[in-house]
Amino acid sequence: MADCQETLNELESYLDSELSEGRANEIITHLKGCTDCQGAYEFHADLRTAIKTKAKNEELPDGFLDRLRDCLGDDVLGAE
Amino acid sequence: MGAREDFTDDAMQYAPQLFATALRMTRNRSDAEDLVQETFLKGWRAFDSYQQGTNLRAWLFRIMTNTFINKYNSQQRRPQETELDEVEELFLFRRMGAFDQSKMSQSAEDQMLELFTDDEVKNAIESLPETFRIPVLLSDVEGFSYKEIAEMLEVPIGTVMSRLHRGRKAMQKMLYEYAKERGLVDESLLDPQD
Ligand SMILES: [Zn+2]
Repeated sequence: MADCQETLNELESYLDSELSEGRANEIITHLKGCTDCQGAYEFHADLRTAIKTKAKNEELPDGFLDRLRDCLGDDVLGAE
Repeated sequence: MGAREDFTDDAMQYAPQLFATALRMTRNRSDAEDLVQETFLKGWRAFDSYQQGTNLRAWLFRIMTNTFINKYNSQQRRPQETELDEVEELFLFRRMGAFDQSKMSQSAEDQMLELFTDDEVKNAIESLPETFRIPVLLSDVEGFSYKEIAEMLEVPIGTVMSRLHRGRKAMQKMLYEYAKERGLVDESLLDPQD
């Protein structure tokens, strides 16, 4: 079993899916029975989602993909 | 030749995510484009050493990370671990009580999305010292495992974990400061014991 302190300490590894299956199950069991830790878990899971969504939102420069293809094409010609 | 043409087609699908990460690394759109082009050229030229069936995406990110570290003479492998202030555990979570509920929507998930703007999240990542910024990008934004990141940075897994932990806390503190500047926070609402 995992207590509150252990659960909070390992929350990050749990969210990163880096715990062993056995340990992850112990954390899940604790979260199911503890509203405080459940709250902390949901907060950090939502925060992760928000950071990921917002940091990925990026417009490519105009013509970026074409220039990328071109530079590979040039390299091939240059090598021949 | 066929395999190489496949490379272009396969690798191309990762170009947008490579660009987004390159931009957070270099903090400059034109340097970011150069970095992605260099990554593709290196990948193209080293394609013989790429083993079919292994993870092309991880391989490209590894090339890009290495190119960035070498090109910009990054401190990644000789880091100053002290270049980041210690931030208390669960920094942001413990301060959620200070956010003005009347300015936010009901659902917790939506709240988090509107608490911080895209630019604030990007700025928070970019203001991290490089030693912490790169692992945070590779994990939080790109979703690579500790092991994959350790291989990309050529550091032990424990080092990846501690940099992620400290980098994330520092980022939370910055996001909190941004929210404060935008008037979303009323610190008098905080229980002094928290
Ligand atoms: Zn608990």
